[in-house]
Amino acid sequence: MTHNIILDPTAASGAGLQRPWKSLDSLKGKVVAFIDNSKPNFNHLAQDLGELLVKHHGVARVIHHRKRAASVPALESVYADIQSQCDLVIAGSGD
Amino acid sequence: MKRGVPAITICSDQFVVLGRKQLKALGSEGHPIAVIPHPFGLRTRDEVRGIAEQCVADIARIAVDPKVGTLPGGKASSTPQRAARIEVPDDPDEFDQFCVERRWSDGLPLRPSTLDRVARMIAASGRAPGDIVAIVQPGFGTATVEAIAINAVMAGCKPEFMRTLIAAVEAFTDRRFNLQGIQATTNPATAMILVNGPVAREISVNGHLNCLGQGTWANATLGRALRLVMQNIGGTLPGEMDRATQGQPGKYTFCCAENEADNPWEPLHVERGFDKNDSTVTIIGAAGTQNMNSHAKDAADVLRVIADSICYPTNNDYHFGGEPWLLLGPEHAQILHREGLAKAEVKRRIWELSKLPAHRFAAKDLMRLRHTRGAELGTITDDTLIPISYQPDDIAVIVAGGPGTHSVYVPTFGHTRSVTRRIV
Repeated sequence: MTHNIILDPTAASGAGLQRPWKSLDSLKGKVVAFIDNSKPNFNHLAQDLGELLVKHHGVARVIHHRKRAASVPALESVYADIQSQCDLVIAGSGD
Repeated sequence: MKRGVPAITICSDQFVVLGRKQLKALGSEGHPIAVIPHPFGLRTRDEVRGIAEQCVADIARIAVDPKVGTLPGGKASSTPQRAARIEVPDDPDEFDQFCVERRWSDGLPLRPSTLDRVARMIAASGRAPGDIVAIVQPGFGTATVEAIAINAVMAGCKPEFMRTLIAAVEAFTDRRFNLQGIQATTNPATAMILVNGPVAREISVNGHLNCLGQGTWANATLGRALRLVMQNIGGTLPGEMDRATQGQPGKYTFCCAENEADNPWEPLHVERGFDKNDSTVTIIGAAGTQNMNSHAKDAADVLRVIADSICYPTNNDYHFGGEPWLLLGPEHAQILHREGLAKAEVKRRIWELSKLPAHRFAAKDLMRLRHTRGAELGTITDDTLIPISYQPDDIAVIVAGGPGTHSVYVPTFGHTRSVTRRIV
């Protein structure tokens, strides 16, 4: 069998450095934010999860953000708010 | 999360593959995902409560688990690499199989990206092979001139197409186009290429008879090359990060020129501020094509039937306030122009005539509409008339095609805006 040399059409990710997962020591007293992608039912799920996290897992406070639509990024102000006051963010889709 | 706050993603079981691939591309491989059953959006309120009971246990567990994010692999490189050289079978049938196994193909045979072919393609670009043109979402692959050239060769492009292709890659990675959304959506959205200016004639991009059909080398291979860039550099393999429910034939190729010779108005690139002697490429977030066949012979009739044709409640342009594209056949354009209508007036009248009563949307879609367009339209009742776009000028009107009583509506993804770039 004869062979040919070609160039690979795929490209490496440009994401750069890996960001390792950093777990929390505990959920007690923490502030948790939700970013709801606005797909059907996710607002209900986020509401229920928030209540359960406070009631059964000691979470101090829950903040809810909702995107205008699933296919657009959250506003920069949402990221700034989460960075300034939250210990954990839960982002999700109700597909 | 990028800003240092730990993040957990929730997604339904059918979308875990997308979630994992996306996290990897973002340098967050191994970050936790809490899985809920698909389809989630159809669940009753009580069913959602039950799912939340289960899901909160998963979240409470993984939030404090230091091992859940252990990286299985090494670090990604932030330095773009030159393309790897790969030994492949010389036999065409075996080469096809080789490409299929690596998922490099769009489903059609590929032309081998040999060193000499790629070198000719790069030379025609006038740029260095390592020049970075763009980062392509959602895989965040680095589109160097060389990487684009390799995919251009595989798609069957001629070297003289390379500058147009590079401008297309620059355009579709502009934030306004929302490539991330278009690449990973369940919608049948793709990137349509529209060529204006002298280059259309120079490289024979068809804007006349059958311009959206088969038979023209540039139309076929330029659109195909952009698809291969989306897939091989952007990382959207069907069924993985490309989540299209059905997709559309335009995902193989979707490219034409404007028929400037038969356009009674200014061509698109002039409307957008370019000189008529500039050559441009415009990228459109296209969700398909819809034929509009009418023998109407006066402007009022033409406008009315076009407005009726684009006006339906499953149309993303209405859901999100889109940028609907009208590719008028020259005969329809001449009827409108003959009665003294400027392009802006055509847009305004179609915008008015195509308003859709809110009660025609499905109840769930109307709820979404209130969320997505409430800030723009205020309180939306059943009788509110919903315009197809924020403003009349968001409707794009060009002339394309040859003789015949046909025009084409290209509905868009909705959350997208076309982007025009000058070809240099």
